[in-house]
Parts: sequence; structure tokens; C-alpha cells
Amino acid sequence: MKIVNMAQGAFLVLSAYLCYGLWSRFGIDPLLGGFIVTIPMAILGVALYRLVIERVQRIDPGLTIVATFALALVAEACIALVWGPDPTASTPGYFNQAFRLGSLVVPRAQFYAGLLAVGVTVALQAVVRRSWLGHAITAASENPEGARLVGVQPARVGAWIFAIATATSAFGGAALSFLYQFTPDSQDVWIGLTLSVVILGGLGSIPGAFAAGLLLGVAEAVTSTYISVRWSAAVPTLLILVVLLIRPQGLFTRAARPDAAT
Amino acid sequence: MSATAARRAVIALAVVILAVFPLVSGNLYLQNLLIMTFLLAIGASGWNIMGGYAGYISLGNSAFIGLGAYTTGILAVRAHLSPFAGCLAGGLVCAVAAAILSLVTRRTRGMYFVIVTFAALQLLGIVATTWSGLTGGSQGLALPLPTWSLSYQNWPFYYPLLGLLVLTVAVSAVVRRSKLGLGLFAIADDEDKAAGLGVRTDIYKMIAFVFGGTFVGIAGGLYAYYVSFLNVAAVFDIVTSVLIVLAALLGGRGTLWGPVLGAFILEPLANFTSTGLGGADAGAIRLLLFGGLLGAVVLFLPRGVLPTVTRSWQRAQARRAGLAGPAMAGGAATAVPSDPDQVMLSRASGQPESPADILETRGLVKTFGGLRAVDGADLTVTAARITGLLGPNGSGKTTLFNLIDGTVGASSGQVILAGRSLGHRGRAARAHAGLARTYQLPRLFPSLTVAENLAAAQPRFSFRRLWLPRVSADERARAIDVLSGLGLDGYADSNPAELSYGQRKLIELAQVLWLDPVLLMLDEPAAGISPALAQRLAGMVRSLQRHGVAILLVEHDLAFLASLCDHVYVMANGKIIASGTVAEVSGDRAVVDAYLGDEVALAAAERTA
Repeated sequence: MKIVNMAQGAFLVLSAYLCYGLWSRFGIDPLLGGFIVTIPMAILGVALYRLVIERVQRIDPGLTIVATFALALVAEACIALVWGPDPTASTPGYFNQAFRLGSLVVPRAQFYAGLLAVGVTVALQAVVRRSWLGHAITAASENPEGARLVGVQPARVGAWIFAIATATSAFGGAALSFLYQFTPDSQDVWIGLTLSVVILGGLGSIPGAFAAGLLLGVAEAVTSTYISVRWSAAVPTLLILVVLLIRPQGLFTRAARPDAAT
Repeated sequence: MSATAARRAVIALAVVILAVFPLVSGNLYLQNLLIMTFLLAIGASGWNIMGGYAGYISLGNSAFIGLGAYTTGILAVRAHLSPFAGCLAGGLVCAVAAAILSLVTRRTRGMYFVIVTFAALQLLGIVATTWSGLTGGSQGLALPLPTWSLSYQNWPFYYPLLGLLVLTVAVSAVVRRSKLGLGLFAIADDEDKAAGLGVRTDIYKMIAFVFGGTFVGIAGGLYAYYVSFLNVAAVFDIVTSVLIVLAALLGGRGTLWGPVLGAFILEPLANFTSTGLGGADAGAIRLLLFGGLLGAVVLFLPRGVLPTVTRSWQRAQARRAGLAGPAMAGGAATAVPSDPDQVMLSRASGQPESPADILETRGLVKTFGGLRAVDGADLTVTAARITGLLGPNGSGKTTLFNLIDGTVGASSGQVILAGRSLGHRGRAARAHAGLARTYQLPRLFPSLTVAENLAAAQPRFSFRRLWLPRVSADERARAIDVLSGLGLDGYADSNPAELSYGQRKLIELAQVLWLDPVLLMLDEPAAGISPALAQRLAGMVRSLQRHGVAILLVEHDLAFLASLCDHVYVMANGKIIASGTVAEVSGDRAVVDAYLGDEVALAAAERTA
């Protein structure tokens, strides 16, 4: 949709808090909780799209990213007011257990989170590539006028995209809730990571984002092992700057036709 | 005139009041509030040069405050440099940082810039925390305390910051009125088009961002000395960035005084929330307040206070004067002048027909993925004749135009203009080399007047030219001549949106002729305009050719082409399949197939059936 959503990090952290709430209050496993949380997150996504994004797009599309940034701040504030500023984490039984495969030690939490990530990526890619909605999304993003002519309503598609994006963050939040400790201002770190992944992978590319996510994880691990743990935090933002200076279309995508779709 | 005079008087009065205030009042609370207001106003005005004029929004401009503050602080602590000298070094560091960050905008547009500035702010915060040997890390950095007598109160901070604010606004005003400002507003409207008119967009944007960053950096250095203690969380606080953007948006993005006004509205509120709120939730409430305000301004007051007030005041004035709306220069729209061409060409080279090839393309190829949009196109355009280019939709004509003018880079092949290969030269460089192009749908800059639209075209680049007035007296006289030649008297100060489609086409033609081109490329000049206007246009094109301008035009209207072109090329599937006179190519079998293809075969089949 060519909208950079600066609130995605806040949605992720919000999802983590919701999953944590389900787990601590009702004992629902965060992995299952993630599926439940997709529903309120999707509703939130549609509501925000209708109330904020769609209007800003009409008023001044250049300000959309500023509006999403404002949303991120408001969301962070609301999270802090509801849950307080202290670090939180879900600790289901498996959060510090591990499988042993010979000499290989695989932490269970990381393993489940990895499976979840692969599943979500494959599902998203299937939706975009194979479903009517996916084609409508591509069409509305590349050429809104043309899409309208063939019966795609860009505004409705936009609402769907937002719903999918916020619902997807529910799975990310579920994984986050038992992988790391989080605070309301974790959204700051996560939006940096999210942006870094999509810039690295190329805006609009789901496989690119997946590959970039892996690459970023490795880059952070290498930095913390061979340089210093403290400097690993600088890796995502540094990569954003370097990639945008050298290869703005991302590492894994071809440059799009610059003359099309304007 | 009286409105301008009144505005000047108010501004002068405000500056005088601010200047004498600390001398007559010993109220340190208000002095502190004003110092912080000046800081925010400098931040917002600096932001406005890039974010308001050029339309490149930055969400990380507080990074410059931090960078200036830490440079000053580190120099003061480690090198015992006076912070008043150190803040200049801070400004310099910010200028360099801004120049590097602006490189990102060479190939990318708006939202990438937002991301880059945001990432830069985060990165600087992380570096300041982690590189504790230099910055004191999370322990913070304590600057030496001021040594002057307490009887001077905060004057040594107050006056430099007030002076810096005046300087920032003054520079901002100079930029606004210069060709630099004209180019920046053009970039905000349509960057691609601006580049095609010879505006060195990369340099313009870099200067804009460097100016903004430098002043904010100096202010950050003074701020460091003022608070005398730096800690990462406070200095690189995202809320500061939000306040800067919010002040500029609230006051009026792109206006001269809006950001200052916004700062004076916001800072008291910000000051109250940082000192008046207590408890565990204070930070969250601050975020909620300013995040919410930012969202509210974007949604409900996107133009800002100043433009909104100015506009309603103008409306009220107009109503009082008994006018229904803004005065329109009407009537002249359809008048056809006797000989428009002389004026249009006042600067054209006027050389006699030269046999030399002006444009030559050799083996131009452009692939988009698997599609070969242009597949080895060779053509030659000479000044001696008007050259046409035709072909069915999707045959690659517009892509070929885009390859020639540099909008898209060729996969392989060469473009040679007047004997010189253009290689990988950018669009502005091609415009300076004498290449001009109009669009199928005219693209004028909506926020500039018609005269400014004409003067936005830059036949060459020099740093000195940037500081010339937007539209010099000579240029204005020339613009009025050109417009009257086009039958558009009285439209010099109109907005392009008030003009009809045909009028905009004429103005775009005049705009690109401002470049004094050796080659003029016209993309469907006669499409969608009346036959009378098309005839006039044909007359103008012929006259241009007589004056030595080589012409290449794309057109679907065969009659129009036949009446105008001595030589045409026919494209199909990215290749040139035929060339010759219109009569010659229209008899060509391959051309007929390309145009009519299956339909002819189908019709023939139907006849025989």
C-alpha cells in the first residue's frame, strides 16, 4: 500500500501485553493467545485505518507517516498507563527449556517462535500471491485508479491490509511475550528493527522481509559475539542508513519501474 | 501594503519586547521559558527549510540538538574549549551529518527520508549511551559551570539564542525569496519535473537540510551549556523531535513565521508538562498529550494556524470589499494572438538550419524484469526537420522519451546529444545540455504562480544563481511578454490550477523553452486540445524549428503529424520498425500490421466468409 506504518512496533508490543494478559489472567498459552489476539488487533487495525489513515491520505498523503508515528506514541502512552512501566514477560513452562539433538541444544521457546514465524510468512505470501485479496492489494498499491476501474475499492483494500498487518503483529507479540522482557517503550526498539527488516528486504517484499530478518538476526549475533553486546543494538539502525545510502530498493528486490504508477 | 506594514510592525515590536524583557524583569522562570522557546523555535524553523519548503519531513531533528549539545559538551570537558566556541563546532558537526544524511535523498523520496532521520536519531542515542568513554554514557556528562556573576542572570544564554533565532528566521526568509527557495518549493510539488527543468535537486536538498541542521546544532550547544548536564535519555528524547515537528505543523508548515508561532504556543505547554506533572505516569501523559496533539494537528489542522488565519482574514477582507471570490483574470482565455512565436523564442539560438545531428540514440535497450520495453532503438533527430515518433499504445514511445531525458536509466545503449554522449548524466545535467521535454498531461507546480513556474526552469547551475531573487525583474518582464504572446495576459500571478488544460499545455511549453533547448521533445502535444489550439501549436513548433531547435514529437493524430513532420519513426514492441515520411510509413505493411494487427486479418476473414 506504500504506507510506512511507524506504529507497527507499538502494535507488536501491545500484542505482547495482550498475550501476557491472557497468559497471566487465564493461563492461556501465549502461542494460542497469539491466535486469539489477532481478532482485537484486526479490529483495531480497521478502526485506525478508517478513522485516521484514510482521512490523512485524503488530506495530505505526505503526512501519513507522521500520523502513524503519532499513533505509535499514543499507543505507547496507553500501554504505559494500563500496564505500568515495569519490564514484563510471559513465562510458560517451556520458556527456559530446551530440546537436545545430539550435541545441538535448541531452546524450545525460540524453536516455537521460529516455527510461528515461518508459518506466518508462508501464509502471508500465499494470501498475497494466490488469493483475490492478494491480487487486489497488489493492484491497488501499483495503480489505484486502474484498480478502481476493475472493481477494486482501494479504501476497502487498505482496511484489509491494515487488518492483516495488525493481526500479524499479534503473532509477533505472542513470540515476543515469552522470548524477551518488554516494556511500553520497547516499541521504540521494535519499530527500529521492523523498519530495518523491511528496508533491507525491500519495501513490499514478504520473502525479502523474511530473509532480511534472518540476516539481521545473524548480524546482531555476530556483533554481540565478536565486538560487544552493547554495540549490537546499533546494528539495525546502522543497516538502515547504509542500505538506504547504497541500495535503497533493498537487498533482495529489483528496482521497480520508476515511471509506472504515479 | 498596509497588511504587510502592520505585520512588520508587530514583528519588530515583538523582537524589541523580547530584547528588553530580561533587562527590565528579573523573572528567572519566564527567562527560562523564553530560552526554551527560542530553542524550540530555532529547531522548528530549521526543520521547516527542509520539511516545509522542500516537503521532506524529518522525525529525527532533535538528533541535531543532541549532536550539537554533545559536541559542545565533549569539547568543553575534554579540550577545555569554551562552550560558546564549542557550539560553533557543534553546528559544523551537524552540517556534516546533515550533508551525509541528505545523500539518502539522492535516489529516494519522502518516506525513506522520514525513516532515515528516525534511524539516525536512534543510532545517535545508542552511540551516546554505548561510547561511554567519550560521552559519559548513562552516567551523563557534566559541563563546567558558568563563571560569570549571578547578576547577569541568564542573559549570556538568552541573548545568543535570541540572536540565533533571528538569524535562523532571516536565513529562512532569504532562502524563501531566492531561486533556492523556488527550487525547494518546486521539489515539494513535483521533484521529478523540477529535475527535468534543470534544478539540481540533490544540491538544493542538501543545502536545505544542512542549513536547518547547522542552526539547530549551534542552538543545541548553547542548550548544553545552559542545562550544564547532558544525559542521553533527555537529550535524544523522541518527544523533543515530536515538539519540533509539531511546532512547525501547528504554526504552518512552509510559512516563514509559522514554526516560530508554533514554538511560542507549544513551549509553555511542554514546560508545564515537564515540571508540573509528577508521579509514575508523568512520562506516559506527556507522550499521550504530544502524540495526540500531533495526530490532531495532522487530521484537523494540516495547514497550520498561520495559513488558516491568513486565509480566513483574506476572505473577510474580500467579503468586505464586496467580492465573491478571488479576482480572476478572465476573458483572455481563448484569444488567439497574431504571432506568439517571436516572443517565445526571444532567447532561442536563432541559428540557421544546421545539418548536424542533434540527437542520436544507438541501440537503446530498457528491460523491466522480463519485458523489453525498448529493444534496441536507433534514431536520429536533426535540426533540419521535425521528427515524429508514432506507434501503438505500449510500443515504448514514452519509455524511449524517459530514456533520452534520463528519467529512467538505460539497460544498454547510448544517447548522444549534439555530438556528446550523455552517459549516466542526471536529469538536470541533461536539461543544462539543452534537452527539454513536455508531458502528455502537463505538469506544472501547483504551489507556484505561473510566472514562478516559468522561472523555475534553470538553464544552468551555479551557487551564485541560487541566491538571486525567485523571479528577477528581467525574468518577470520576459514572462509577461511570453504570456501575452500566448494570449494569457494577466495570468502571471495566477495559480496554474485556475487555468484550463489547453492553457496549461501552452505554459508548460513556454516553461521548457525557458531552458533555451537545442532539442525539444513533445509528448502528444495535440492530445485533448481544440483543433484551433492544435493549429497554433503546430505553428509554434514550425517556428521553433526554423529557429534551429530540433524537435522530436510523439503523436497519435496522423493528420497533425503529416502536416508537421518531415520524417517519422514508427515503433512497435520496443523496436523501430519503419521510418520515412508519413506517406511512406503509412503504406508500410509492417506498420499497418503493428497498428491494426489482428483486426485487419479479422476483418479480411469476415469479408471472405
